Amino acid sequence: MKFSSAELALSLGVLGLGLASAVATASLSGEGGYANIGPNFMPAVVACGLVACGLWLLYEVFSGGWRERPPDDPAGRGDHPFYAPGFAWITAALAAHMALIGTAGFVIAGMALFAGVARGFGSRRWARDIAIGALIAVVVFLFFVRFLNVNLPAGWLAPVLGSAGV
Amino acid sequence: METFSALLAGFGVALQPLNLLWGFIGVTLGTAVGVLPGVGPALTVAMLLPLTVKLDPTGALIMFAGIYYGAMFGGSTTTILLNTPGESASIATALEGNLMAKNGRAGPALATSAIGSFVAGSIATVLLTLLAPLVVSVALKFGPAEYFALMVFAFTTVAAVLGASTVRGLTSLFLGLLLGLVGIDSQTGSPRFAFGVPELLDGVDVVVLAVGLFAVGEALYVAAYQSRLSEKIEKFSGSVMMTREDWKRSWPAWLRGTAFGFPFGSIPAGGAEIPTFLSYATEKKLSKHPEEFGHGAIEGVAGPEAANNASATGTLVPLLTLGIPTSATAAILLGAFQNYGIQPGPLLFQSQGDLVWGLIASLYIGNVILLILNLPLIGIWVKVLQIPKDLLYGGILVFATLGAYSLHQSWVDLLTLYVFGLLGFAMRRWGVPVGPVVIGLILGPLAETQFRRALSISQGDASVFFTQPISATFLAITAAVVIVPWAVRRWKKARPA
Repeated sequence: MKFSSAELALSLGVLGLGLASAVATASLSGEGGYANIGPNFMPAVVACGLVACGLWLLYEVFSGGWRERPPDDPAGRGDHPFYAPGFAWITAALAAHMALIGTAGFVIAGMALFAGVARGFGSRRWARDIAIGALIAVVVFLFFVRFLNVNLPAGWLAPVLGSAGV
Repeated sequence: METFSALLAGFGVALQPLNLLWGFIGVTLGTAVGVLPGVGPALTVAMLLPLTVKLDPTGALIMFAGIYYGAMFGGSTTTILLNTPGESASIATALEGNLMAKNGRAGPALATSAIGSFVAGSIATVLLTLLAPLVVSVALKFGPAEYFALMVFAFTTVAAVLGASTVRGLTSLFLGLLLGLVGIDSQTGSPRFAFGVPELLDGVDVVVLAVGLFAVGEALYVAAYQSRLSEKIEKFSGSVMMTREDWKRSWPAWLRGTAFGFPFGSIPAGGAEIPTFLSYATEKKLSKHPEEFGHGAIEGVAGPEAANNASATGTLVPLLTLGIPTSATAAILLGAFQNYGIQPGPLLFQSQGDLVWGLIASLYIGNVILLILNLPLIGIWVKVLQIPKDLLYGGILVFATLGAYSLHQSWVDLLTLYVFGLLGFAMRRWGVPVGPVVIGLILGPLAETQFRRALSISQGDASVFFTQPISATFLAITAAVVIVPWAVRRWKKARPA
């Protein structure tokens, strides 16, 4: 029998999420509501809904595939085949940003994010990307911190950027 | 008359120099960001929300309205010159608009789109002004049961009726509802699905969800599947002037487009796709030059653009009068209102009339600003459009992460953002609609509150939803919109014509 393994995985994911919500719902208290409708009622409805959708999706997987889905063939969608480095670079850039923002500060993290994302889109001009990323991050930082009073971490650059930020 | 004086007072608010300035900034920024390829109105509004933190509620809402209108206009420019519709409602415009641009008629295409948006937006705002007080007077009689039934109707049309697949629409809706449950239950104060993570106790922020789905998800998708495709930006040269003939062919299309767009926007059925395609089909049928369709017919740009804009304004009717968002963008706007402690609905017209009418008045002004700002500045927007993808997405993600991080100064929100990005990637790749998630997140908690209130008033008697006439009517309509199309399909299948 022919079926799409991606569809199967996603359908099982929805089903699993529904079951997990059901388990999490079971530990919620129903106390505090009127007429037996407590804070656990809606979670139960949603868990049932997700399980039902998961089963429905599973049924479609094995009865000819999800209906009216965008084609798997990239050219059919006007796309090129999956380009793993692009996906990976963006993931790495976001992870680096997460790791850096609390310690190195907003500007350095933003610079790394910008350069990493640009790399994911095929840029090889590191120097240019880092320079532009730094410029954008500094301008955004100063605008938000000085003008909008939004707290952003200055991190390692605190001596240069002044005491603004956290 | 009462409406008129309220509107006048609204103009008094909207025309205050500072508010005028916020409106102006909103329109400009909205257009500039909305022009960026891959950035639709929903993402534009979500990304620019952090900019309004320092404003008072009225100023902030006026700026949002400007951003919303600007984003719509910016999106049309991109669609015409680049043929990458940022949202499904722009597909109809892309059909003829891009062909006009290919034939060297980019100027008139942009002009008919801009002027058509102005005409449609202005007429739709007049209709909104007239209709809103009527809806409010009806809605004031609604109790929790009626609201709940209305929300069920909105959920059903948004998730199950529109879109290619009912089950995928519903899956998307339930995901949104699940996310809406995270945090502290508003009725009892007990935490749900937070797993002891402090950042989750505040609930899932609509900006994080929208930016994750639309910005991070889009960046992942484009990098993985489209980064090495070359895109052709149609040259824009010469004048934006429309000829006499262009005017003659455009204005009936604008009016008909408005007539399609506004009603579809204002019933809680959401979605601008249907009216834009209806308008496209109508123009094609009525045109004296049907042979031009498929080669760049100006009516094919004028009509759908007007329909799209009228529908966007129409969406504000259920949003402002009932507090029900029927599009992803409207849901984000509602989230922004809530950040200011404002709950749109009939009561808001009474308790904060200045704010609501100031907002409505600013829509009239926003339309005028758009018209006088955009055609002369078209050269700048074309430049913005030419930013290469590597720099464009780098910049988008720096902004996207900023909005998420500034919530709690915590990397946990950035991780959540990435998870939503993966979700957005998967949904785009496998054809799951994104709108219902955002609507579910915002509307779910409101629906739950109404449901529980209704049952506590009826002392647990669930039949209340079916015995109250208005509530029963809404539920009957809901059942009809699900069953009728299904039955028709069945019937057609059974007897192939």
